[in-house]
Amino acid sequence: VRQELYRLPESSQPLYIAGQRCFSNASIRKKSGEPSPSEDKVHLTESCVKRLSEIMEKGEYLRIQVEGGGCSGFQYKFSVDRNKNEEDRVFEQGGVGIIVDQESLEFVKGSTVDFSQELIRSTFQVLKNPQADHGCSCGSSFSVKV
Amino acid sequence: VNKRKILPTRAALTLTPSAVSKIRLLLQDKPEYIGLKVGVRTRGCNGLTYTLEYTTEKEKSDEEVLQDGVRVFIEKKAQLTLLGTEMDFVESKLSSEFVFNNPNIKGTCGCGESFNI
Repeated sequence: VRQELYRLPESSQPLYIAGQRCFSNASIRKKSGEPSPSEDKVHLTESCVKRLSEIMEKGEYLRIQVEGGGCSGFQYKFSVDRNKNEEDRVFEQGGVGIIVDQESLEFVKGSTVDFSQELIRSTFQVLKNPQADHGCSCGSSFSVKV
Repeated sequence: VNKRKILPTRAALTLTPSAVSKIRLLLQDKPEYIGLKVGVRTRGCNGLTYTLEYTTEKEKSDEEVLQDGVRVFIEKKAQLTLLGTEMDFVESKLSSEFVFNNPNIKGTCGCGESFNI
């Protein structure tokens, strides 16, 4: 059911640009044999949207960056940002948004951003990252599938 | 006649003011719990990680730490590991967490969740 939900808006995209004779990212990926064209998106969970709407002021976004570091090679970095650059992608949901720059997006596309609340810690997390092979226990660091 | 010997003791765990106020806040509307329980579990890339949960009763083997009116219990398994540790609560806009400043540890994970002794 989920698959179909994601596929719906994506499948309309190639039709729309077909007349302009451009190739979308999605169609390239289909050729290389990867399954879902929805993978260059970042999804937000309900708790993430709820938390962001609580803490963010107008015009503030949650920026996700991927850096080298951590015990598994790469790590996620979260920050609050008011500025959007040209190469940034914005994913909005429920009145809040997250910003991911183009380079980082390559590492996080298809994953889900969650706000996890536990007694010992409450923090934003990147979950279900299709690019990540295995991560650290806390999920802040990961290695990339080759 | 045995002379009474006075041994020095120190709290197994100290709490920072921000940890105390956070724990007090957590327990405020939960009268069924008497405090929090700290433990360690084998997990993570560096061997061990801390656990934290509400507790309804003091178990026999638990070490009780009473500071500024809040009670924290330490699991038997964690008592040696935690000896002399400072428990802090750090809050920022994006995250909030209890942090353990443990003098016994040799190394930690990048995120600080996992450690070894």
